Amino acid sequence: MLFMDPNTSNGGRTFSRRWVLGAGATTLLTTGLTACGSSDSTGDSGTVTAFVYGDDAVKVQVKAVTRFNASAAAKKAKGKIKLEKVPGAEYPAKLRTAMGSPNAPDVFFNWGGGSIKAYQEANQLVDLTDTIKSDPVLSGGFLPSVLAAGALKGKNYGIPMRGMQPVILFYNKTVFAAHKLQPPTTWAGLLDINKKLKAAGITPFALGGADIWPELMWLEYLVDRIGGPSVFDKIKNGDASGWGDPAVLKAAETVKQLIDDGAFGKGFSSVSYVNGGAPAVFAKGKAAMHLMGSWEYSTQLGKFPDFAKSNLGWFAFPKYEGGAGDIRNVVGNPTNYWSVNARTGNKDAAIAFLRDCASEAYAKDLVANGDIPTTSNAEKLLDSSPNPEFAKFQYQLVQQAPAFTLSWDQAVDPDVSTPMLTEINKLFVGKSSPEQFVAALKGLK
Amino acid sequence: MWAVPGVLFFVFFAVAPMVLAVYLSFTTWNGLGNPKPVGLANWQKLLHDSRLTQSLTVTVLLTVTSWAFQTVVSLLLGVWAAGRQRNRAVLSAIFFVPFLLSSTAIALLFYALLDPNFGVIHQDTLGSTSGAFLAIVFVGGWQFIPFHTLIYQGGARQIPEVLYQAAAIDGAGRYRQFFSITLPQLRNTATTSSVLMIVGSLTYFETVLILTQGGPGTDTAILPYLMYEAGFKSYDFGYASAIATFLVVIATALSLVLVRLTGFGAMRSTREGM
Amino acid sequence: MPEQPTRRRRHWTRRPNPVAGLGSLLWLAVVIVPIYAMISASLTRQDKALGNNALKPPTDPTFANYNTVLHNGFGHFLANTALVAAAVVGIVLVLCVPLAYVAVRTRTVWSSAAFRLFLMGVAIPAQAVVVPLYLMIAKLDLYDSLLAVILPTAAFAMPVSVLILTGTLRDISEDLYEAMALDGASATRMLFQLVIPMTKGGISTVVIYAALQAWNGFLFPLIFTQSDGPRVLTLGLFNYVSQFGVNIPALLASVVLSGIPIFAVYLVARRALVGGLMGVGGK
Repeated sequence: MLFMDPNTSNGGRTFSRRWVLGAGATTLLTTGLTACGSSDSTGDSGTVTAFVYGDDAVKVQVKAVTRFNASAAAKKAKGKIKLEKVPGAEYPAKLRTAMGSPNAPDVFFNWGGGSIKAYQEANQLVDLTDTIKSDPVLSGGFLPSVLAAGALKGKNYGIPMRGMQPVILFYNKTVFAAHKLQPPTTWAGLLDINKKLKAAGITPFALGGADIWPELMWLEYLVDRIGGPSVFDKIKNGDASGWGDPAVLKAAETVKQLIDDGAFGKGFSSVSYVNGGAPAVFAKGKAAMHLMGSWEYSTQLGKFPDFAKSNLGWFAFPKYEGGAGDIRNVVGNPTNYWSVNARTGNKDAAIAFLRDCASEAYAKDLVANGDIPTTSNAEKLLDSSPNPEFAKFQYQLVQQAPAFTLSWDQAVDPDVSTPMLTEINKLFVGKSSPEQFVAALKGLK
Repeated sequence: MWAVPGVLFFVFFAVAPMVLAVYLSFTTWNGLGNPKPVGLANWQKLLHDSRLTQSLTVTVLLTVTSWAFQTVVSLLLGVWAAGRQRNRAVLSAIFFVPFLLSSTAIALLFYALLDPNFGVIHQDTLGSTSGAFLAIVFVGGWQFIPFHTLIYQGGARQIPEVLYQAAAIDGAGRYRQFFSITLPQLRNTATTSSVLMIVGSLTYFETVLILTQGGPGTDTAILPYLMYEAGFKSYDFGYASAIATFLVVIATALSLVLVRLTGFGAMRSTREGM
Repeated sequence: MPEQPTRRRRHWTRRPNPVAGLGSLLWLAVVIVPIYAMISASLTRQDKALGNNALKPPTDPTFANYNTVLHNGFGHFLANTALVAAAVVGIVLVLCVPLAYVAVRTRTVWSSAAFRLFLMGVAIPAQAVVVPLYLMIAKLDLYDSLLAVILPTAAFAMPVSVLILTGTLRDISEDLYEAMALDGASATRMLFQLVIPMTKGGISTVVIYAALQAWNGFLFPLIFTQSDGPRVLTLGLFNYVSQFGVNIPALLASVVLSGIPIFAVYLVARRALVGGLMGVGGK
């Protein structure tokens, strides 16, 4: 017989009494939990909850919160900030579920563009356009292009709160020196280096394929270098036929060639960037180069400080012979933003806190962390960066770029972004051919 | 009526959400604001989604493979452990240890051990389709075989000793005894264990989430994972609910078949029959 | 098969069985090797872990990884899990014992319908209802609280619990009820003085089963909680992946630590635990 007890036994009465007591205690416990369960929701007069992506760079926000909570501005607005560091990989999902509940954050980290569109459409964002206009600290504080990149249909919903994040090709100087290599400027030059590295038993590129978005970066740059920035612009504006551009197919074929040649090594699809696998492989010299956002520098500074300080090199993504894209074009994220929940109980405190992002103290913290602030007066601070050379390279890269393409996964809607990333992963692990890849993307709407 | 609180509680937290899932499958909802009715759109999408077909295939394949692997090992170990020798008791106690870890802990353990750069096997196990699939089967078995071994052990110990004595007098050897007495006598135990395995393998969600995230590509995206992805990555909760409803229909159909096969419902009449 | 005097054989299973013995040693390796690698790696210094084979014993063992874990909220997560387990067990017992009693003792259409409801409930995968449950929990203002984890976990532990209990309850002989009824005992008295004492075995199985559901629960906490406050152990472990990142030794130390409390329970109460679990399987 199913689900029957094998040792039905007789028991004493004491058991039942203990059991009843236990049950009573549990009920009390449960009641108690209800009380404390919903105590820290939005709307409490003082506290402003801020959700932030919990990676290595979060220490800048931690400092900002401490500074703000002790400031006169906080006293005036009668509010304090409570920072919630949400672990990386699950951040977007956690934010969405929290925003749909009564326990939503008052202020939250985001990537602008597609990442906040749904919240804006659900009227959950505070329109900051007028606040910024009427406040010289905010209106004059940031690079206009970066401020604009966080806007939706000409209205501002975000204040820049992290460094600029162009995607850059990093290289391990020790490995390059040992094999007498120079950073390439052309695709052919890059392939030549790959050949030499492989002959020496070194994987050319570290790649955190388990996260998929590091794979995306390769396509973003290749499509730009081959077809120019207009190819993705068309896609971003909702025209799925844009995936049919020959540049996309060419980029996919180039990726396949790289994989087949072993440019990323064999195990890349189970190496993760988020857990530090790819940075470690790169820092330890198992791989020679790493295509990654500029945050790679802070990541390495946190995990392998010696490597970051002396052996980390960088160069712009090479030009593709015969391609339409300028070598000065950049892809990546302009920066991250704070947005304010329309249901916040203390809008004054939230906005007062956001003003701190324009402060010199905040910018200095960013610089100290190896980031390039997007504040308008950032240039003069760069000399005090832990690596002024890198800071200036990055600043000029962005400043001189004819086009800055927002990361595809942030630029499009989440319901397109997820299947797009899946298709990219299929291309990288060899589950679909470049032709199948293009066909699948054209089917996404 | 003492049953009322229990029934109400269950209806509220388990039955009502199921009904709500059916309703949501006819709506579009991104988690913000309120769901909006869209008629059959999600179901039409479901019918034409090639990923669903793939997911269903993987789910069935995973269930069958896991069932076969776990049943063979648990049956053999269980019958072996039913012997009362001291060494068998000691080993059985050790065999049980994996079951003490939570599924999450076990998935993390193998996530670490299978990492190509840090682990034991310096190979890209999870990067290949068969590697990832077998890893999930193995990890599931590693966790649940101890439990099923226990069930078979309990079952084997209840086989009347006289049957073996009679067989031995007839000159039946160890292996004939196993096939002609042990196996037939364990039929009921096997159905119980199989029901639990099959229902249980629909829930390898955290193993998939932690080990493979449905990859490589979409090759290990079992139905619950597909639903999670539609809901909590694409925020298409309407479509996620359609997948969820589909999952419930399959699970219910499966359980109806199993109930018929195993006489689950006959529980009602155990006493009356006496 | 040579003829052997059967009388000398005390028990058929007492004869050594080399094939089975070998098989069991093989399985022993399957069980032990990952556990050994886990413990060994958790004692390895982080900077030595990369490229190191976890099967080699650490040359320079350290407890630093355990320290890291313990300083990252481990105790708090464990306490939350214990609280959830206790509450789930409590709710399941309070609701299921009377339910099973009614299902077995009364013969109405309603009680039989209730029983069938739970019978079908066994097959509902909890994953299928996370989206609507999330909606309900958000509306009830329970999001990001332990109750959001406790209530659905308890509900989904009920079907199997009811089946286990009805199974045990049926073994109580009719005569005992009749004897008590003759003494003029009320239904309540019968429940406390007859049913509960006589189904102790079934109840302990339910306790273990329900506690196990809470202990293993992952999806409900993942979706219904967010902050550190109500974070349970499984979710804490999961978050260590991105928090510790490349620090695989610390991650494995957290896995080892998560096993220690229940391993202690196992050492102390192996018989009860194993017996209770056998009860889930039945006779």
